[in-house]
Amino acid sequence: METNLNHILVFKTNIDQLSTDCALSESLGKQTGISQWSIDHEDCDRVLRIVSKTLSNHDIISLINAHGFECAELP
Amino acid sequence: MRTRNADKEKLVIEKAIELIVSDGFEGFSMNKLARLCNISVATLYIYYQHKDDLITKIGSEIGTAFFAHTLKDFSADMPFPQGLRKQWENRISFSLQHPKIVACFEIIRHSPHGEQILQTAVSPFKQIMADFFTNAVDNKELQPLPIEVFWSVAYGPLYSLLRFHSEGKSMGGKPFSLTDDYTNQALELVLKALKP
Repeated sequence: METNLNHILVFKTNIDQLSTDCALSESLGKQTGISQWSIDHEDCDRVLRIVSKTLSNHDIISLINAHGFECAELP
Repeated sequence: MRTRNADKEKLVIEKAIELIVSDGFEGFSMNKLARLCNISVATLYIYYQHKDDLITKIGSEIGTAFFAHTLKDFSADMPFPQGLRKQWENRISFSLQHPKIVACFEIIRHSPHGEQILQTAVSPFKQIMADFFTNAVDNKELQPLPIEVFWSVAYGPLYSLLRFHSEGKSMGGKPFSLTDDYTNQALELVLKALKP
């Protein structure tokens, strides 16, 4: 099914490496409202891409910050 | 409300192909691509999950376009000489019409994504080409050969000529441009060599 483009949120982060069992992966995976997420580790902005119908940019930024990473809306 | 913009997507694909050809697979980045397209990096990430996603999608798209072009007016039950001639004609016309796409596809197929892309783009094509080969052997129009030997003899000369053409020169820098005469000469020799 085609993702609704309004449900895609993108952020600049400093998340370098992420193992599947680390706390951040777990909370992104468990977080209600996130249907899909990915990070482009090759990109200099370590772009985090979230598909969510319900969460706002602010919700995501708080979640990432809570794990000690920087996160900002990608202009 | 954000909507998918087909023109923008087309532009992204076109510029991505140019960038891969000019900077190579390693030199390609989402940032450079966004700048070339005059769109924000965020927009690019809305369309594609990451660099690998973009490269895989573009690779599959151009692979599919190439194989579809190759099969134009071609069928697996054609007599072998006509079928091979059609393959040569189709491959030549695609290379001449889309030199950048061909160069880009070569880079992508040798990248870590090559295998995956070839598997999705090639599968319908592979069956038709395998049938063409088997029919030709069954009809005693073609020597039974290991597929690699067949391919090298059947298409190797064509790709050598196309490479000379795209470089504009042959051995020792001699100017070269592919003509029907050269093509026919090479194809006749190939057909003669493959005959049982």
